[in-house]
Amino acid sequence: MENNTSQSRRRFIFGTALTLGGIVSGFAFSNKALAELIVFKDEKKILGFAPSVWVEITKDNFVVVTVARSEIGQGIKTTFAMIVAEELDADWSKVIAVNSQGDPKYGDQSTGGSTSVRMFWTNLRQAGAQARQMMINAAAQIWGISPDDCYTENSYVYERNGTRKLAYGELIETAMNLPVPPLNSVKLKSSSEFKILGKSQKNLEEPNYVTGKTIYSFDFRYPGMKYAVLLRCPYIGGSVKSFDATDALKQNGVIGVYQIEEGIAVVADNSWAALKGREALKVQWNEGPNANLNTEQIYETFRSLIVNTGQLPSKTVKEIDVRFEVPFLAHSTMEPMCAFANFKDGKCEIFAGTQNPQYAREDVARALKISKDNVTVNVLNSGGGFGRRLNSDYITIAAKISKASGLPILFFYTKADDIKFDYYRPASVHAIKAGIDSNGKPTGMIHIIASQGGVWPVDPPYNVGGYNYELKSSAFGIREGAWRSVENTQNIFAIESAIDELAYLAGKDPFEFRLEITTDQKLKNVLSKVAQNANWGSSLPSGWGRGIAAFVGYGAYITHVVEVYVSNEGFLNVKKIYAVVDPGFPINPENIRNQIQGAAIDALSTALYAEITIEGGQVQQSGFHNYRWLRMDEIPEFDIEILRTSDNPSGMGEVGFPSVTPALCNAIFNATGIRIRKLPISRTPLTSVEKQLTKDNYFEVNAFPNPFESSVKIEITPRSVLNKKLDVEIYDYLGKKVIEPKFKYDSAKYFADVNFEILPPSVYYVVVSFGAERFSFPIMKVK
Amino acid sequence: MEINVNKKNYTVDVDPDMPLLWVLRDILNLTGTKYGCGIGVCKSCTVLIEGVPEQSCIVPVSYAEGKSITTIEGISENGDHPLQKAWIELSVSQCGYCQPGQIVRAYYLLSKNPKPTVEDINKEMSEHICRCGTYDKIRKAILLASKE
Repeated sequence: MENNTSQSRRRFIFGTALTLGGIVSGFAFSNKALAELIVFKDEKKILGFAPSVWVEITKDNFVVVTVARSEIGQGIKTTFAMIVAEELDADWSKVIAVNSQGDPKYGDQSTGGSTSVRMFWTNLRQAGAQARQMMINAAAQIWGISPDDCYTENSYVYERNGTRKLAYGELIETAMNLPVPPLNSVKLKSSSEFKILGKSQKNLEEPNYVTGKTIYSFDFRYPGMKYAVLLRCPYIGGSVKSFDATDALKQNGVIGVYQIEEGIAVVADNSWAALKGREALKVQWNEGPNANLNTEQIYETFRSLIVNTGQLPSKTVKEIDVRFEVPFLAHSTMEPMCAFANFKDGKCEIFAGTQNPQYAREDVARALKISKDNVTVNVLNSGGGFGRRLNSDYITIAAKISKASGLPILFFYTKADDIKFDYYRPASVHAIKAGIDSNGKPTGMIHIIASQGGVWPVDPPYNVGGYNYELKSSAFGIREGAWRSVENTQNIFAIESAIDELAYLAGKDPFEFRLEITTDQKLKNVLSKVAQNANWGSSLPSGWGRGIAAFVGYGAYITHVVEVYVSNEGFLNVKKIYAVVDPGFPINPENIRNQIQGAAIDALSTALYAEITIEGGQVQQSGFHNYRWLRMDEIPEFDIEILRTSDNPSGMGEVGFPSVTPALCNAIFNATGIRIRKLPISRTPLTSVEKQLTKDNYFEVNAFPNPFESSVKIEITPRSVLNKKLDVEIYDYLGKKVIEPKFKYDSAKYFADVNFEILPPSVYYVVVSFGAERFSFPIMKVK
Repeated sequence: MEINVNKKNYTVDVDPDMPLLWVLRDILNLTGTKYGCGIGVCKSCTVLIEGVPEQSCIVPVSYAEGKSITTIEGISENGDHPLQKAWIELSVSQCGYCQPGQIVRAYYLLSKNPKPTVEDINKEMSEHICRCGTYDKIRKAILLASKE
């Protein structure tokens, strides 16, 4: 429904619409004309010679690889270009990677499940080899010799027994008139012949990243384009009751206000005007059925679904029966969701960072009630994905606003919108019962998962003596979606933590125990190697701990050892992370290193801090200030070893995530004796005042309320008169000083009201020093 | 209103409260400066005003009036500043979105401290969030650039 649009303030689209078929990847062009040609390439226009949809060779001897999986930071454009260039014997310095459109001719384009390389490895190699064969055939025809008497190198065909050579670019016209050999008929290289693959190659996108030239969704521009934001009901499952746009429309630059199914859209000349217009909207909400919903109620329901964990075999002599809890998580990509849509004459053109352009195309067609043949989805680079962009909500919203307004629209979520209206990593409660026999051998594992229904089970990577699982669910209408490594995030935390508990129960070393309970040689290998790299078994100073965990998935094997130090005050210091990954064949080792390190920091950040909470039916988090991420001074040292054990590559974007969290929790146990069974970790204090003040108890300490929400009153009562100065400081979970409260002294007490409003929920430590004495006590901010 | 961006003068007719970020991006079409959080926390929008890093998402354009502004587009003409070369050499970026802001701050760091230690780098660069976790590579790239 269009609401009171000022027709006179509308601008019309002028000129012919641009069609951008492929957006060029990072490349320092020596040939400016070519660069422009490709940036504004029409998908239907052929740049040069294109034997397949994957590769084109231009007159200027450039090789253009069309990448049909989305670049979300996993380096797929460089990886795919490497695969094609290898078999084509292309000059790597003249290879360009472009994003494709969403089109079934490319096969499955869903960038999820770390499937890209495994699904396209053979196909892309064949495409490269096919193009190479045609270059040879063309040169052979020109020279009047047999193709067998030709060879290729660096985008040239050479005469084997002569001095003639021709650049690929010089051969394309001849090649165009030759038959195209079938993909499966061309000969592929053996891995020993690889010149590009298996060696670290620089990221093709980097020159554009570092100059700000990459076109993300937010950066897309179009003649006559307007900017739009959406005001959505903050209540989960709620809706708009009524609204008044009078003030919004008075804002300078606001063009129109439109109600769509998802909320009220404000369209303006620029982003700021759209935001100001949104702020000026007056809205009444239908709070809907969840107005009283809160996260604790959800956990409580999940807990109550697990009634009976069943029986282990009778040979069981010892058992654990424990619960693990993991929260909802928002993806919180660096670039919030954003999409361009232009609905005109019954057709809709989209430009957006998306992990699934084919689904987006169908979703837009459905939303606009038009045929998908009338929808074009052009993929742009994404400022992070992590699974978020498998959903096309933001794309269909852009399309609806374009339709409602009749304008080309760049629609964006603010950071707060992005967190509050995400498809969350599901929260779940896990019950694990597992036992050992009199020899310390596992007798079985029973795993019950309670969730909204979105968490399915994962098998342990070990022989646990029989594995049984059961799923329980209760839905609360909270949107859920894929999150880097999906169900492994919850399952591997629970399973690898439980395996660690079993090892201690059996009185065995956690590394040795894991070796004993697997027969998988590849797993044994990565376990042994990581233990060796981490000098497992060597003694550690007091307060230090080590933890180990493994993950098998996406065609790969990985193990992590995490080293932590927990200070007397309780500060957690993650010192070092060792990883050994067996990808089979490592296509681009440096990119794998980046992925493994990035995934580890992702896992550490979420394990330590991240939690989406709901109060009164509304998501409470709104930005990086209350949904924290680790920063440079908080990351550990890394030791990453990348193996090469076969000629088959595997998925590297997600594999580095799951085993970090349990390895970290196992290390905290090793250091402190405290088992972390609820994430995020920063909700569990790693010390207590009782632990530190046993003998010479000079003080009584009090904090109330505790746990607290925005402020806390701290009271310190000395048992006798102090003759030294009392210092009190407040530190965060990792030991960074966050507040130096001013204490007052009255009635034999030191006290202060401390405001925590701007700090995220977590355990904090109040550190009290007087002279040489020093102790801490934990306080807990819950919202 | 007159503003000077990357040594070029522009006259802009905008609400004086409009954050500099949107003026750069939507009015001047300098899209290298990124919107990340809009509240000055993530630092993706970092630009230099009179040589000092500021969060363009919270600085009103009126504050920048008559002052010299440097954005990622002004760090070098051809993408060949030692920092940019170091980033390319080490393949620092993953999604790349936060990197213009990171590079602008690193540029500031090297302008006041050409040979920073790891501690100096940590202190300055810990202002920024990189959701992909490229911190270690950023640190190495700054050290590499500082050798040039």
